[in-house]
Amino acid sequence: MALLLGVLAPLQLFNDVVLRIGRALAIAALALMVCLILGQVFFRYVMNDAPNWTEEGARFLMLWMTGLIAPMAYRQGGFVAIDMLERALGRIASALLTLTLMTLALLVLIYCVQLGWSNVDSLTGRGKSASLRIPLGLLGGEDIRFRNAWAYTSLFVGFVLLTLVNIELMIRQIVTLLGGEDRLKPLHDGDVARAD
Amino acid sequence: MLIWFLPLFLVLLMLGLPVVFGLLAAPGLLLILDGSTRDLAVLYRNLYNGMDSFPLMALPFFMLAGEIMNRGGITTRLVEFSQAFMGHLRGGLAHVNILSSILFAGLSGSAVADTSALGSTLIPAMEKNGYSRKFAAAITAASSVIGPIIPPSGIMIIYAYVMGESVAALFLAGIVPGIMVGVGLMVMVRLMADRYDLPKAERIVTKNQTITPLEARVSFVLIRINVAGLLYAVFAGIRAALSLDINLNGWLIFLVFLPVAHGLMLWLRASVSDDFRLVCKKAVAPLQTPIIILGGILVGVFTPTEASAIAVAYAIVVSFFVLRSMSLKDLGPVLARSALASSAVLLLVGAAVAFKTVVSLSYAPQILTELILSLSENPLILLFLINILLFIVGMFLDAGPAIIILGPILGPIFTELGVHPVHFAIIMSVNLTVGLATPPMGLVLFVASSVSREKVETISRAILPFLAVEVVVIFLITYFPAISMTIPRLTGFVQ
Repeated sequence: MALLLGVLAPLQLFNDVVLRIGRALAIAALALMVCLILGQVFFRYVMNDAPNWTEEGARFLMLWMTGLIAPMAYRQGGFVAIDMLERALGRIASALLTLTLMTLALLVLIYCVQLGWSNVDSLTGRGKSASLRIPLGLLGGEDIRFRNAWAYTSLFVGFVLLTLVNIELMIRQIVTLLGGEDRLKPLHDGDVARAD
Repeated sequence: MLIWFLPLFLVLLMLGLPVVFGLLAAPGLLLILDGSTRDLAVLYRNLYNGMDSFPLMALPFFMLAGEIMNRGGITTRLVEFSQAFMGHLRGGLAHVNILSSILFAGLSGSAVADTSALGSTLIPAMEKNGYSRKFAAAITAASSVIGPIIPPSGIMIIYAYVMGESVAALFLAGIVPGIMVGVGLMVMVRLMADRYDLPKAERIVTKNQTITPLEARVSFVLIRINVAGLLYAVFAGIRAALSLDINLNGWLIFLVFLPVAHGLMLWLRASVSDDFRLVCKKAVAPLQTPIIILGGILVGVFTPTEASAIAVAYAIVVSFFVLRSMSLKDLGPVLARSALASSAVLLLVGAAVAFKTVVSLSYAPQILTELILSLSENPLILLFLINILLFIVGMFLDAGPAIIILGPILGPIFTELGVHPVHFAIIMSVNLTVGLATPPMGLVLFVASSVSREKVETISRAILPFLAVEVVVIFLITYFPAISMTIPRLTGFVQ
């Protein structure tokens, strides 16, 4: 038990900090997405000249928003599941079932992390975006075109963080199973709105 | 081998694996067992590409707009507005509850948001007025399913994207069915009002209403523009119907209609009390949102995604500057909640797109088609059976995930049988949305229970008469395609 709690404490602290940063970045990404799409409408109707990069930029931000904040949603129980069986079972059986399911989820996540990395490191990942660029040209330098890998990394990062959260939840579940529930620090309980 | 992935998926789902992992695990596991590990990369790429989508962006935006509107104290205004019109009827507050849901549906695309926002205001008010708590909770839950049927609608954005349909067509097709659910519930309340002697209520709750000068001016302008626009639309309709050859500049005609609208407003003003007028005035700014969204999409000025971004901007302007009910520090949590909720859904949609590719790789659709066709070849009977299936699924699973899983499997079968894809989308959406309020697992029942502190089982019994009405509406929608298809056809969004 002490060993488990010893592993859990730093992991929980790490997730707390990293996910809070992720949340802040995701908020910024969402706000920026709205601005980009409003800008797109504005330029099209008011300036009669729609820039070609707003849509791709907003999609880029949406992917990062998802990658950075989805782990927090998972941690707060925001991933939809049918929990009928879990509720019907007794305490121990239900905890064991949850643990089994989490192990399965962990396997899926590990595969996704591997596939995500090979996607980032792929030939298309090294390709460059047609419209997104860092406009160094404005400062007299040369524009740097976005690499596809920069967008691919979003999902990879998301899966890495989801894996960490999954491990944390698994350890918590084992501690609960061993009867140490009262020694667990509560997870930050933000209210997860749901999209039905 | 691949054919087993559907049963495997269902087993994983029933065991309680989060849907998103189930959508990836079932096909992934079989690809590995099949030795086609190279296809795993395709699965992953589809997951990524499924999320990398512009139309899908409407989802976080509409959620955000709804959140801001809700924070901005708009719920109270809508309830007061509904009460001014329907409070005096027998079963007044129950009618108010339903009408508020219809209006709220134009701002938000979620039944859960609807239940928690309206429930926290209306359930206590109904109890005070003499209704039982279980009745109040039941009508709140039953009417909240209108939220995702009337546009904007989260599940319709998801369905349209996963199935390659037009979001605009689905939005337009949902309007009449949504209103029908509302009217059906009102009829049921009217019938119950006689039997259970449901009370009437005051039309105006807060006497001596006030409004800020800025909001009064904004409402003044908006209402006249809208009425003039409506008159113009009627004029254009008559001109087209009678093939009149009037070549006048559209803006000029609109400008002529502005003073007419003003005159009309002055005439109406004289016939109502000051409080009634102010209650209506205070609802103008919030209710402009659906007009902007639908108007923009209908006229073809913006795509649904752009409309959703504009809805966000409008909600911010209204909440910050006109109603002054929100400040900058409220914005962070609102953005965070929308990002959190939409990230879970986006991941789910990506996984569904990956899942869909394996569905099409396997022979599952063909086998299922044969299976379904062996039951009957009559589409009407099959639609009946599908309604029952969807209803059962809806009892256990949220509408979003359910539509993501079943759309790719069932959609193509019924399209082949001659059911219009948009019509089928509406059947699925309405059916699964009603499932949200269906015992034992309906999500909004749980939300209504936590808002009202009444047991889920008690609400489950009280909601049955309303569910019966909704089932009747589902069958009407199923067997009379014109109910959902007329508006999209008339506006040219469906051929």
